[in-house]
Amino acid sequence: MILIGELALWVALLMSAWTMIVSFAGGTQRREDLIVSGYRGMYATFAMTLLASIGLWTALLTNDFSLKYVAGHVSANMPALYTFTSFWSGQEGSMLFWALILSFYAAIAIYFASTRNRELAPFANGTLAAIILFFIATTCFKANPFARNAWIPVDGAGMNPQLQNPGMAVHPPTLYLGYVATAIPFAFAVAALITRRIDTEWLAVVRRWALVTWFFLTIGIILGMWWAYVELGWSGYWAWDPVENASFLPWLTITAFLHSIMIQEKRGMLRKWNVVLVVVSFLLAILGTFLTRSGVVESVHAFAQSPIGTWFAAFTIGATAVTIYLVATRLRDLEAKASLESMASREAAFLYNNLVLVGIAFAVLWGTLFPIISQWATGAREKITVGPPFFNRVNIPLGLLLLALTGIGPLIAWRRASVSNLRRQFATPVIVGVATAVLLVALGMRNWYALVAYLLCGFVAGTILQEFYKGVNARRTIHRESAVTGFIHLVARNRRRYGGYIVHAGIVMLFAAFAGLAFKVDYDVTLNTGDAHEITDPLGHRWRFVSQGLSTTQRKNTKVLSLGLEAWRDGKLVEVMRPEKRTYFNARGEQIFNPTTEVAYRTNPSLDTYVILAGVSSVDTAEIRVSFNPLVMWVWIGGFVMMIGGLIVMWPQAERRRPQAGYVSVLAPEAADAKASALAGV
Amino acid sequence: MKRREFLTRAAAVTAVAMIADQAHAQQQGAQGAANVPMDQAAARSVRRPPKPNARPSMTDRERDDNVEKAIHCQCGCTLDVYTCRTTDFACQVSPAMHADIKALVEGGYTAQEILDSFVDVYGERALMAPRPQGFNLVGYVTPFVAFAAGAIAVVGVLRSWKARKAVAQPAGVPTLSATPDELARLDAAIRDDS
Repeated sequence: MILIGELALWVALLMSAWTMIVSFAGGTQRREDLIVSGYRGMYATFAMTLLASIGLWTALLTNDFSLKYVAGHVSANMPALYTFTSFWSGQEGSMLFWALILSFYAAIAIYFASTRNRELAPFANGTLAAIILFFIATTCFKANPFARNAWIPVDGAGMNPQLQNPGMAVHPPTLYLGYVATAIPFAFAVAALITRRIDTEWLAVVRRWALVTWFFLTIGIILGMWWAYVELGWSGYWAWDPVENASFLPWLTITAFLHSIMIQEKRGMLRKWNVVLVVVSFLLAILGTFLTRSGVVESVHAFAQSPIGTWFAAFTIGATAVTIYLVATRLRDLEAKASLESMASREAAFLYNNLVLVGIAFAVLWGTLFPIISQWATGAREKITVGPPFFNRVNIPLGLLLLALTGIGPLIAWRRASVSNLRRQFATPVIVGVATAVLLVALGMRNWYALVAYLLCGFVAGTILQEFYKGVNARRTIHRESAVTGFIHLVARNRRRYGGYIVHAGIVMLFAAFAGLAFKVDYDVTLNTGDAHEITDPLGHRWRFVSQGLSTTQRKNTKVLSLGLEAWRDGKLVEVMRPEKRTYFNARGEQIFNPTTEVAYRTNPSLDTYVILAGVSSVDTAEIRVSFNPLVMWVWIGGFVMMIGGLIVMWPQAERRRPQAGYVSVLAPEAADAKASALAGV
Repeated sequence: MKRREFLTRAAAVTAVAMIADQAHAQQQGAQGAANVPMDQAAARSVRRPPKPNARPSMTDRERDDNVEKAIHCQCGCTLDVYTCRTTDFACQVSPAMHADIKALVEGGYTAQEILDSFVDVYGERALMAPRPQGFNLVGYVTPFVAFAAGAIAVVGVLRSWKARKAVAQPAGVPTLSATPDELARLDAAIRDDS
């Protein structure tokens, strides 16, 4: 099976090359036989990539240490789950995994496009095949997971222990699912540019896949944050590491696209901009991969210093050049059809929102690249570090501006908002926001950044609640529904609008949680067995930590040193916490990797109590760091809410004719649902 | 030396060389697979004589927030000293840097003086973020300049669209003959699927 997998990888390389050639040739010459051959070639590419992947999984699960990849990432005593996930834990495997997802997506996209988007499909297929060809060629020639050892070791090196975490079993695949999905809108954008058909047909397919990208990137990023929080032991979930930034960049631009596409749908405007956003999202995904795998920037991720950086650099430059050429030569076809009536309109608000999202993306990219730029410009021998203080200073103001626009956008009418309309719409959200801030000041909060954040959170929450309240109320009036039924029907009948508001609600929770970190406190404590130490958390509760002493235990491939720590809050025992240090061994009992931290944390909606075993200075003396992290749970809840909102938006709905560019058909009597929305919205 | 003896010895030497090479490769592999490639020898002494009648210049919390979180651990990770010294059990660099910082605090040095001392020894890379001076200012200012330029461009685009609207709708074009109620419904219907 392993040999078949290896052969299948090479066949996939040839199939993707064939698919690319015949698809472009068929599309250009309008030859149906070549086009169909291209479609079949794409299905075959997927089948071969799947076969290659099964081959690698077989090698991993059977501990075939004759393969360098298996020997480098698996040991015989590893739990089966992590042996399975080691497929994507290393460079070579993750490249193949990327090719597998991409060919899977491509096969699905082309299957539907071959009947629904017949003009675009051959060129989209050719573009996707070119991307797959790049990934498989890189895998075959520079990062081959089937490369052999000259000598078969008794056991493998095992997986990095920090990756032996359930979050890591899910986080990389979801992130890859998001990253890779950027290729589909990109391919259709290229196809639309080649055929000069940037119309509603293009919009429909691109929007669908952009949502897939956004959905999986969101889940992947949140899971990555969760993994960092529970596994890395630095009491935080975001460090502006280049790898984190690499996933955040396409998320920002795709989010911008999902807003600006509405303007194109409704008004036929922003066609150039939308194409650029789709293209940039894909290029950022590739650039991020290049940055983190080439070693040009410092990252905690182990992919750095690999030989595939040059290939990615060449591909990024090539893809950028091709798309710049295509956009530049088709500017006239992308001219906007409609015009603007007022600067105070939903269209304008979406543009401001795009400006901020892209501004943040630029700031993040700039900060990530600045060590290289600075070294190049100043001729310094070593790169400077651009860490969280830089990113926070630049991005917090922009982030707050984005939060404000999240609340403002839905309150402004399309085309033109009258003063009375604005007053009516803004009154409640502004009152909610100001009341939130006043309440927090009264409770003693004096951190101005946090206060502004919570004021804006209140304002956006007020906007969302108002929108739901009006919508449900309208349904209750017209359809005589209960509040719950009205709510369900409201969301079900208008998934894009209300699913979007649910996403916004998740964003509010995230910002509230981020602002909570302004009140985080840490304590470094040294405890002998039986010692107690008292400290106060940011909410004023008195905590007492009592050491029960250190103990060691042995698990399958791990030796665990743990501290028993009684945690008392306000005189009441709430938990015995067990922070650990783990040392990993291979099947021969040899230590592999450095010892790792396993934190103990207690979570609730207001505060996390997070304990790290920082060191052991004698047989019964432990050094610990206790962190009180307010509102962290809301990051995970907010992420979950965003996921639910995203699912609602993505859920298939029978296509309706949307009002386009002008007062078309809207004076005709609408269905009762539209009347309900009318009552809700004005 | 007979041919058989030569071949046997050659085979033995080759086998030993292969095993040694493999062992070396495995050892390198194990090092390369460490959680973070670590340079345990990266710590350098950052000591200054205490100031006359020196007293600690700040509390432990101020030291952690204003100094240790601003200094980059040099072990090869991307963390600050404060975070690295409790996160990575094996790092010997961050405890050494922490000891230097503690000594400087006890020697009466201010946060800025301590940061400067570390920059003197390690260079600019000792800091978690570059100081806003010289070329680094470009780093801090560029995102805001780009944002301002983008804002000007957006306003320009919106104005041009508005102007196009004014040109496209000359006087005399019949306006919609709709009641306010109809207009309200119409607006709402357009808003309907946003």
